This record gives sequence, C-alpha cells and structure tokens, in this order.
Amino acid sequence: MLSNHLPFGEIGYVILMTQLNSVLKPLKILKDPRWFQIIFLSGFLTFGLMELGWKAEWMRYGAIVVSAIITQTIWVVIERQSFDGLKSAMITALGLCLLLKSDLLWVNVLASVLAISLKFLVRYKGKHVFNPANAGIILTILITRHAWISPGQWGSSLVLLFFFGAAGLMVLFRVSRLETGLAFFITYFMLAYGYHVAYLGWTMDVVIHKITNGSLLLFSFFMITDPRTIPNDKVTRLIWAVVIAGFSFWLETYFKVRGAPLWVLFFTAPITLILDKVRGGHAFQWLPQPPASITHKNIL
Amino acid sequence: MNMKIRLLILLAFSVVYGESQAFCGFYVAKAGAELFNNQSQVIFVRDGNRSVITMNNDFKGNVKEFAMVVPVPTVLKRNQIRVADAGLFGKLDAYSGPRLVEYYDPNPCQIVYNRPTSDALRAVPELYVVEDDAEMVEEEYHVVIEATYAVGEYDILILSATESNGLKRWLTDNGYSIPAKAEKVLEPYIKSNLKFFVVKVNAEAHQLQGYQSLRPLQIDFESDKFMLPIRLGMANSAGEQDMIVYALTRNGRVETANYRTLEIPSNKKIPTFVQEKFGQFYQDLFQKSHEKMGKNSVFVEYAWTVTPTWSGVKCDPCVGNPPILVDLTQSGVWWLNEPNKDVFFTRLHVRYADEKFPQDLELMVTPNKTHFQGRYILTHPATGDLSCAAGQTYQTELNNRRIDELGNLASLTGWNVAKYSKYVTEGSGWIDERKNEIPVVVPTSEPPSNGPNNLIWIPLLTLGFAFILLGQFYLNIRRLAARNHTGVAG
Repeated sequence: MLSNHLPFGEIGYVILMTQLNSVLKPLKILKDPRWFQIIFLSGFLTFGLMELGWKAEWMRYGAIVVSAIITQTIWVVIERQSFDGLKSAMITALGLCLLLKSDLLWVNVLASVLAISLKFLVRYKGKHVFNPANAGIILTILITRHAWISPGQWGSSLVLLFFFGAAGLMVLFRVSRLETGLAFFITYFMLAYGYHVAYLGWTMDVVIHKITNGSLLLFSFFMITDPRTIPNDKVTRLIWAVVIAGFSFWLETYFKVRGAPLWVLFFTAPITLILDKVRGGHAFQWLPQPPASITHKNIL
Repeated sequence: MNMKIRLLILLAFSVVYGESQAFCGFYVAKAGAELFNNQSQVIFVRDGNRSVITMNNDFKGNVKEFAMVVPVPTVLKRNQIRVADAGLFGKLDAYSGPRLVEYYDPNPCQIVYNRPTSDALRAVPELYVVEDDAEMVEEEYHVVIEATYAVGEYDILILSATESNGLKRWLTDNGYSIPAKAEKVLEPYIKSNLKFFVVKVNAEAHQLQGYQSLRPLQIDFESDKFMLPIRLGMANSAGEQDMIVYALTRNGRVETANYRTLEIPSNKKIPTFVQEKFGQFYQDLFQKSHEKMGKNSVFVEYAWTVTPTWSGVKCDPCVGNPPILVDLTQSGVWWLNEPNKDVFFTRLHVRYADEKFPQDLELMVTPNKTHFQGRYILTHPATGDLSCAAGQTYQTELNNRRIDELGNLASLTGWNVAKYSKYVTEGSGWIDERKNEIPVVVPTSEPPSNGPNNLIWIPLLTLGFAFILLGQFYLNIRRLAARNHTGVAG
C-alpha cells in the first residue's frame, strides 16, 4: 500500500512524478531525467541566441560538445564503464556553453576536458566530488587568463523566473532534489530582501531584479541541484544550500565578487564528502529508477 | 531669495556639442547636433581596485547655476581630484563613434589589374545635445563636511551623512535644490557608506582660468566598488537618458554584471542614400536595438586595443585619431610606465529609464580582447561602360545586393523602405535587353519585429504544459481514488 511504503513528505513528489510518467509514457526515452536536462539546456541556449541577442559562437559550442564527448568516451573505455554517461557529458557540455566565456578556442576545450576528467579522477567512494561544469569553469578561470563568466548575460526578468522555474521543477521532481534548489533560491531571496529593501531602503524592484537574474536562476535550478555531487541526505542538503546562498550573497554584496555562487559551489564541494560521512544517505544513481516501491505502477 | 541653482546630479549633466569634430578623412554629411538627448559621458579607467573617473562637463548655462552631486566610495584627498583637458571627450568620441564606411565596386568590364582600391572612408562622428533643468524643491543637518577643496574652477566639498533627511536639509540650506525623488535614493547610498562629492563653480576662479566652458572633473580612488551610480541621476529626469562610458582597462572589455551587454548590430551593408542621413540612421538603429532587447540592455559600440606601444591597427577604418599616450595619461591611465602597459578601450552606450534599470550599473572587467566596432558599409556601384557580359551579370547582382541593403536598412532601423524602391534599379541603368527579366522584389516595409513581445510564447508554452500536467493529475487522482475505493490498489 502507498502509505506503507512512503514517508509522508514524498507523496506529493510521487504523485507528480507519476503525472510526468503518464504524460511521457509513450516516450520511453525520457525516463532518464537527464534527457530533460539536455532538452531544457539546449532550449535555454536557443532562447539566448534567438531572443536575448547573444552572439552565436558555433565554433565554441562545437569545440565544447565534441571535446566533452571524446573525453567521456576515452574515460569510459579506460575505466570500462557504461556509455550511459555520455548523457551526463552532454549536460556538462551544455552547461559550459551557457556559462563559460572565452575568446580562445583551446580554453573552451580545456574547460571541457577538465570538467569531464575530474569526474573520473576526483572521486570518493564512487561519488563525484565536483560538479563537472562548475569545476571546469572555475579551474579554467584560475588556470588561464582567457576565461570568464558573464553573470549579466541573461539580464533579469520575471519571464526568466517562470521559464527556468518551470523547467527546473520538471527535472527536479524527477530526481527529488527540488528542495535544494528552492532552499538556495528562497534563502537568496530573503537575504536580498533583508539587505536591499529592509536595510538599505531600496524599492522592491531592486530585489526582483536581483533574484530574476538568469544566471542565478540557472544556478539554483540546474547546477546546485546536481544529484551526483551534492549531499545525499535531504536535511544536510537543505542546510548546505542555505549556507551556499548565504555565503554567495555575502561575497557578492560586501566583496563585489561577480558570479559568486559558482565560486562558492566549487570551494564547498569537498565538504559534501564530510557531510555524507556524518549524515549518510543513499548515493544518487541516474538509473535504475528510485526504490522499487515507488514506481508508478503501485499507484496506477 | 532662493538663488536659482541648477543641480545637476551625476550623469545628468548638460551636454552641448555644437560643432563638428575633426577626424581623418572628410565629411560626407553632418549629423544633426540633436542626435541623442539627455546624454552624459564618462571615462572610466579601472585596474585592480583603483578607479579614475572623468565626468564630462559641457554645461553651457551660467556657471553660477552649475552644481553637481556625485556619490563616491571614499573621502577623496586633494590630489585625487583633478580637472582634465576639455578636448578629451571629443577625441575619444570621435575615435570610437559608429562609422559609415564607403566602398566602390570595380567595373567588371575593365581589366582587373587596374582595380581601384576601394576603402575610401567617410564617416560621421556622433554628435550629442542635451539641455537639462533640474526640478527645484525647497526645504530647510546631520552631515560631516569631510573636506573642502578648490580645484581649478571648482569648489568641492566631500560630505558624509548618517541620514538622508539631514543631507537633504543641508543641501537645500546651502543653496542646492534637489529633486524630491532624489531623497529616497540618498538613503541607500548613505547606508552603503558612500560619500557625496558636491561640486559648485567658483565664478572668479573660472574667469581667471580664462576657459569658456567648464572642464571635465576627474576623481581617482581605490575601492572594490566598480559601478556607476545611475539611480541618482534618474531622480532628475522622467524619461530616458543616454550615457556613454569610455572604459579603459589593462585586461580587456568592460561589461555590466547585472544587465545584458550586447554588441550593437554592425558590419551591415546599407543603401548609399543613408550617407545623407547617417545621424538619423544610427539614432534609429540604436533605438530599434534598444527596444528589441527589452530596453534593459547595455550596448558595446566599440572595443579595441589602444596600447600606445602596440603596433597593430587601432581602428579599421579610423573615424578619429586613436588616443595617443597623452590622451590616455590625461584620461587617468596610470600603468603606462609599468611592464604590462596594455590598454583596452570599450565604449558602452546605455539608454536607461527608471523602471527598466532598478539597480546601478555594476561593472566588471573581462579578459575579452575581441575587437569590435559599429560599422556600416556603403557600396557605390561601378561606373562606366558595363555592356560586357560580366557587366551585365554584375548589374543583376547589384540589383539583388541593393534589395538586401534595403532589407538590412529596414531591419536595422525600422524605416519603411517601400518608398525607396527606386533605389534597387538606380545603380543599374545600363542593363539593356535584359532589363525586364530581372525579378525585383522590394521589401515592402519593416519585417515582422521580433521584439520582447514575442516572448509571450514562453509563458504560453509553459502554461500549455502545466495545463496538460494538471489534466493528467486530475485524471490520475480520480483513478487512484476509484481504485482505493474498490480496494484494487497496491
């Protein structure tokens, strides 16, 4: 019975996941939430190019995607793993296309190779330590003098909130990491409100403008929620997301660090190992699907 | 009783460019001096935590009426405030302004080795005008005068305040009238620990200097704050204001961290008749891009390496002379004697209004050294005898190119190009028997705009999806309820 197998808080999740499954049942391929991510991230890139006036840098995108896939393939062959990971490589590559900027082609390739290789090189008990796209970006910025991030490239708008929010919800429901994204986002919102409106005395537009920044939204719904690199335990994840939000906000506000969440995520990544040791929790696997008891067959 | 004082708050200066500016080459046309209203210019030199900001001051009224308040991050010392050369802005503007380039098609019926080189340049520098009267509000202190200086023709005070009311009262009691809307902006600035750089003109000193107009003021300070406080200027003006930032850095392009920074559409072939109205053309092009991008973006108009010792081409082609060592030093570039003396120039143009720019411009230096210029190309048709076969083909191609040019014009500026349909065949009067065979399709009017309104498909799509989800949700719940009821579940 439903109630026997599920903790109360997850009923909502299961029901919603069921909805998604029933909508997309004919599309068996979409069972893996990574397909969603690939579709959405490509959608964001298309949106940026068509509507936001980004300069199309096809060579750059091509270099990133091709080098990511080649690197993943090489590692898969060396490590004798499943080629299933190519989907993850694609997600990482799209993340790099969206976030990283560089005026030199080889820097993009470097970022891509670093991002994918770190997944295989830096592991602890089978779990990735760094979010691949995040680590690729930060390391490339640190190593070369030709990489940067443009936190303003999306601009700010409620349309973006809606767009990223809706897409984020669909993916996060499926991987049950919605609380992490929301915890980050809500904390950031509250801090921005507290500082800019309650303390400094700016109007609400300033906060709305800050929290509807596309880069912040992309980070909160598509990066900090990567189930493979964040703490396994739910409560730990919540605290962890809140801390990252607080730290990012502090760096941004008092030290004028641009793109602070990306830096904070990179430097706090090793802490997830300690957190996992302390609190435990089940390591996330993309496939097979969640515990046998909560597949949709039970409910339908 | 109340002395009439015009309070010009940062980035709302009165700027009048009355005369054309010198540049290499010669004028094709004079762009009207009314190009951009309500416009201000700033030179921002930044490396590490040090900033040198030069504010253009082309105020043309009675100098006694001039006053300006600028929020600054630190209490500036005397040696951190200077007056800069009045011609500086003109030079940088002329160098980096959007350019109209002219090329001539070679006559295909002539022998190729005699091909004329065709990069004669004619360009129109941008000319701007503004007239600004601040609204006057009267009223009756809690401020610390951190320092008072006399710099050139200016009397300068550095104020720090603990609350906006006191600051406002002090300003008004001392003869500065500030717009009512400015008050609510003062509060966040005070709490952010900003100081206020208050400037008036010393009429006597001004006369002694013997300058006709006011010279630009330059401030030099260390702060991690890399921003331009546009919010205070907005209190002064209801509509849109333009600002041009000439940024000079060691590393590369400057962009905004909290708004989109986009390159202005460039390198497009446009009809030759635009030559006479290039000013209008660029003005409309800017407005169109501004609207298309949601009125909340910052545009790059120019980006180039200007290191004095660098041997590369500093513009292609040049509208004005590239800034030389003296210009850079006067702008405040301090690293020219250091081993790494790279200087990168970025010209940013932003049109801002209260509702679309709720935050001050937060800037950042990127390592991006990609060169860019706002460049529009005129191509004059070949002249002479075009009766040879190649000449006939050329003319067909010419007609097609001219159609494209009209299309470009329409999409860049939103002009109705239907009335220019004659332009297509104008250049090809030499086609004889084939004249009627050439299909001429003229773009009738503006192509469908893909402005921000088209964003409507996003929420619609998402709503559609949400609707399907909800429908499924409802059906499944019903099914679930029915099964539970009959005990089939599990």
